[in-house]
Amino acid sequence: MSILKVDNLCKNFGGVQAVNGLNFEINEGEIFGLIGPNGSGKSTTINVICGLYQPSEGSIFLNGKKINGFKPNQCVDMGISRTFQNIRLFGDLTVWQNLWVAWKDDRKNQGSWFSNWFGKSESREKLISELLSFSGLETRANDLASNLSFGEQRRLELARAVASKPKLIFLDEPAAGMNKEEVKELRDRIFRLRDLGITIFLVEHVMDLVMNVSNRITVLNFGKAISEGDPESVQNDKAVQEAYFGQ
Amino acid sequence: MEFLQTCIDGLLFGSAYSLLALSFSLLFGVMKRINLAFGSTLLLSAVFSLWIDSLFSIGIFGIFFLMIASSALINIYVEKLCFYPHSGKYGATVSMISSFAIWMQLDEMSSFLLPDRTASFPSFLPDSFFLKDLFIRIDQLFLFLIAVFMTSIFFYVLYKTNYGLLLRGVSFDGELAKKLGVNSGKISSFAFAFSGIFGAIAAFLILSTESQVTPFFGFWCTLKGLVAMMLGGIGSLPGAIIGGLFLGLVESNVINYLGAEYRDICTYLILLFILVVKPGGIMGSALLRDERAASERI
Repeated sequence: MSILKVDNLCKNFGGVQAVNGLNFEINEGEIFGLIGPNGSGKSTTINVICGLYQPSEGSIFLNGKKINGFKPNQCVDMGISRTFQNIRLFGDLTVWQNLWVAWKDDRKNQGSWFSNWFGKSESREKLISELLSFSGLETRANDLASNLSFGEQRRLELARAVASKPKLIFLDEPAAGMNKEEVKELRDRIFRLRDLGITIFLVEHVMDLVMNVSNRITVLNFGKAISEGDPESVQNDKAVQEAYFGQ
Repeated sequence: MEFLQTCIDGLLFGSAYSLLALSFSLLFGVMKRINLAFGSTLLLSAVFSLWIDSLFSIGIFGIFFLMIASSALINIYVEKLCFYPHSGKYGATVSMISSFAIWMQLDEMSSFLLPDRTASFPSFLPDSFFLKDLFIRIDQLFLFLIAVFMTSIFFYVLYKTNYGLLLRGVSFDGELAKKLGVNSGKISSFAFAFSGIFGAIAAFLILSTESQVTPFFGFWCTLKGLVAMMLGGIGSLPGAIIGGLFLGLVESNVINYLGAEYRDICTYLILLFILVVKPGGIMGSALLRDERAASERI
């Protein structure tokens, strides 16, 4: 059962074709890797799917429903969430409040006017405390996000992406700037998310991580997919080696 | 004793400035939206309520609630017309200029409803008493109490309720909030309505102690609110309160010791001095802090 299907996706910025005729399909519950050299259109792909840009051509289906041209908050309502390449947190708010802002109620049981304003929801508090222990930030729940260390901020960003109860998470270079130990922890967290039934779309430069966790990988170069398949076959692909190391 | 008397007068009236500065600060500082039409919104809501009162004689409490409602609605109208379409980095300038146009429009509407230029505004509790040797006007004391009460409500909503939390998130990074699925348009409308409500309460209190409304009231509000806000520090809510009280103190002392014609000169001199010595305002490090945060990439 495919959760996300991208059909002939193109995105032009003026004369530059950032993404050019991209096709792929992600199955529910799998970890899908997207790699490629700098400037190959990976982040643009994420931004188009998450509703930041309109696709110039092609269509995107989430669970069989076309989501072209949806606004970012509509995409979140549909069950997509993401992290950012550069860490973006609400520095003014505490860790707890950062998670709170991203939290989404189920559309159906919208609270009353009063509880929207003043109410405390138990399911919300429970989820947030689970997320705090998931990211190992229990002791820092009441610290300002801007006072966290780099690694903690990365962890908070991942937890915040989970707070909106997504079915599909886009991770845009989650391991950038991490040391080996932290990458290991991140890998465990990604596996735990997969075990919760969340599909993961991973864009990453750290090859150790991608090759270890992904079920399938697509390689982009100049906006085009040059190779697809399981990690091993991609690693041995001539075209991929040329794209990364030259001829 | 004379000094004490002027200080009490200044503090009592300054509390209205504080409330005005708070409602300005919510838009200018917290939401980072420069709404030049805000004073005109307050004027129009007052004039409109007086006009309805002249037709249906709704009484002073009717005027009070109608002013709050109409000011919130007009503020949402301003937001939808000028600020909602221009979000993002360059939106601040564009929306400021378009709010200038709305200012003109609202002022024209007010002068249409106020053909005699000046109208009397009902005052309530026009009484006074002596506390030992101090002369205290009851309506000013009332003004002070309401201002304190409203200020605590203001802080409660902003720091303890769910919408307040979302509002602070949107004000820190509106684009990010949108990407996380926050309906930032709704939150921004809420902030405008909220500041309209507080501005209207402040305007009502001021008008009823002055017991008249003139076409210049809108511009007067903008000036006083801005000056009090800048004295205290842009973006700092406690700063807005302190700035308002300080402005009230300065004005009443200057009027008493130098004469009314020196009031504005001294106010602006002090503003200039504070901006030179401490560019962020008395309490303000908010602007500088934002710069620093931006350089830290968060």
